[in-house]
Amino acid sequence: MKKRMKRILCMLLTASLAVGAFVGCGESQKETTSTAENEKKEELTSKDIIEKAAKDGKVGNWGLGNEYEVLALLAKYDLPTDFLSQDFTMDGFDDDSITLASAMTYNELGLVKNDYEGGYGYKDTVEYIDMNDEGVAMLEDNIFCSKDFAKENPETVAAFLYASFKGWEYAVENPKEAAQICYEYGSSVSKEHQEYMADEVAKLVSTDTKGEKVSDIGNMDEDAMKQTLDIAKKYVSLDDADANEKFQNLTLDDIRDTSFYEKAQASDGKFNVEKKKVSIQLKWLPDAQFMGYYVALDKGYYKEVGFEDVNIVSGGGDIAETTAVNNNTVDFGVTWETNLASADASGMNLVEIAQIFQRSGLVLVYKPENY
Amino acid sequence: MEDKVVLKKMGRRKKLRERIRENPKWQKASTVILPLIFGIILVGLWQGQVLHRLFHTDTFTLPLLDKIGSIMADNKEKLLENTFSTLQVSLMGLVIGSILGYLMALLASFFPKFGQGGLAVIGAFASIPVVAMAPVFNNWTKDISRDASFRSMISKTIVVMLICAADMGLNAYKGLTNLKPYALDLMAIYASSRKKIFFKLRLPNSIPYVFSALKVSVPASIMTAIVSEYFAEYITGVGRQIRENIVLAQYSTAWAYIATACLIGIFAYAILMILQSIFLKRYH
Repeated sequence: MKKRMKRILCMLLTASLAVGAFVGCGESQKETTSTAENEKKEELTSKDIIEKAAKDGKVGNWGLGNEYEVLALLAKYDLPTDFLSQDFTMDGFDDDSITLASAMTYNELGLVKNDYEGGYGYKDTVEYIDMNDEGVAMLEDNIFCSKDFAKENPETVAAFLYASFKGWEYAVENPKEAAQICYEYGSSVSKEHQEYMADEVAKLVSTDTKGEKVSDIGNMDEDAMKQTLDIAKKYVSLDDADANEKFQNLTLDDIRDTSFYEKAQASDGKFNVEKKKVSIQLKWLPDAQFMGYYVALDKGYYKEVGFEDVNIVSGGGDIAETTAVNNNTVDFGVTWETNLASADASGMNLVEIAQIFQRSGLVLVYKPENY
Repeated sequence: MEDKVVLKKMGRRKKLRERIRENPKWQKASTVILPLIFGIILVGLWQGQVLHRLFHTDTFTLPLLDKIGSIMADNKEKLLENTFSTLQVSLMGLVIGSILGYLMALLASFFPKFGQGGLAVIGAFASIPVVAMAPVFNNWTKDISRDASFRSMISKTIVVMLICAADMGLNAYKGLTNLKPYALDLMAIYASSRKKIFFKLRLPNSIPYVFSALKVSVPASIMTAIVSEYFAEYITGVGRQIRENIVLAQYSTAWAYIATACLIGIFAYAILMILQSIFLKRYH
């Protein structure tokens, strides 16, 4: 009996030791930076905030091609271009391991501010630095396809743009209804967040980088595209020497074609589509970021221009939309100009046919009490 | 006529092919030569784009070998830096994990009643996918250091450690308890103490099992390190580079890192085989 007790005690001891070892990892080191806190600062400029965050090494971004605006911003203030890898939650921002975190206005910023399901409920206690204001905005969601596809199916491309623009137009005017439609088509987020997203996405589609109203949906603004490509050339470095050289020599004419946009704009809505069943690859999970396509599908705009079936293909963390379009798995795709340019530099043959988001949706969000 | 029949029966005049096949020197050499020939053919098919036609792919998705090689040569420093960070994590995880695993097996063999159940739980631990464990430990270790590169390394190492510990624990336990028939009885006849039984019988018996555990956990440690890098806070390592490059559609560069990962795996395995041949000499 005694022996048995001894054994049990021994087991318990080792078990508690093992648990202790794990718990030890989670114990927080509370090194308070009291010196910085005590000094009450008057007005903080975005420069002060970026400098402090960079000095602490607490600037966050997701990487994977999303980081170039942040790199450009850091370089603008002569700071080292290091950043922490953010996961697809805002937990790092919440627990202060990242004090200047990347967020899209239409997604993460909403989660940080609001207190619905999945939100962190910071309300208006958080502030943010807008890439558009800092002059380092890069263009995001566009519509693209392969050059061969565009050449062989010009009517299809123009018709797809026409109907998609119509969908976007409706969505921008009625974001609440668009959110509802997205939700019904199988959303990855809650209904409340979907409505928040629709409102914010509508702003991106109808306002340009300078904050002015844009009336033509899908317009490819020369200056904004040029700025995007210039920043990309500066901060994208490809290890493949051939691809890198090609990337540096890219011009806007290599990566965009305005003819389909003009054709769609001038059209009366009648097309002779060559391919009646088409598909579009989204850059991310289905939600109001892509509401225009869902609205066009739901309202029958695609049918009106002659399509039998339009398949909206969901993206996700590591889906390379450029690859999917390049190997003809899908006909159209939504990506960012930088991704398209780097894909073309490494040998793909893709072309942008419309620019849906007219300004950058990226902001760096921070809690003022950390500065 | 009769002479010939006799000769055939005695097997003196074998065909050349058979003679070569039975030559021990050739048998030894063929284990090297045959895979080598296969490798050369594969390289030829790859470089000659026959593979591409066979699998309906293009040189974009499956870049040619000279392209991959030239990217590796151009970026030696960056490759080495990332290789070092991956190796550091996988080696540390492997060593700590294996030692922990062996200690667990020892405990389990001292208390067999609890031990078997405990090891079953640990085995279940090992079947949690790395993609689930890595983000969890990434969040768990956020407070241990202000230096992101350090805390990332720790979180990756813990994941590798758990995988290796489970593997080693299960195998070593087998080695410590799965003794040769009558060996234990023999020791009992000699009236050996438990200590003696352990050092003279159980411990040596477990060594081959340790190596069979390592054969699995060496490649697993590298794979686990590579996958954990996907979720780490600090951007470094072969795995992270593969992911970054695929998202930017840089398949040639991604392949250069894939090739690096393969090389790391092959070298680690070769070193393990050499160690095994040294340590297991007395068992043959």
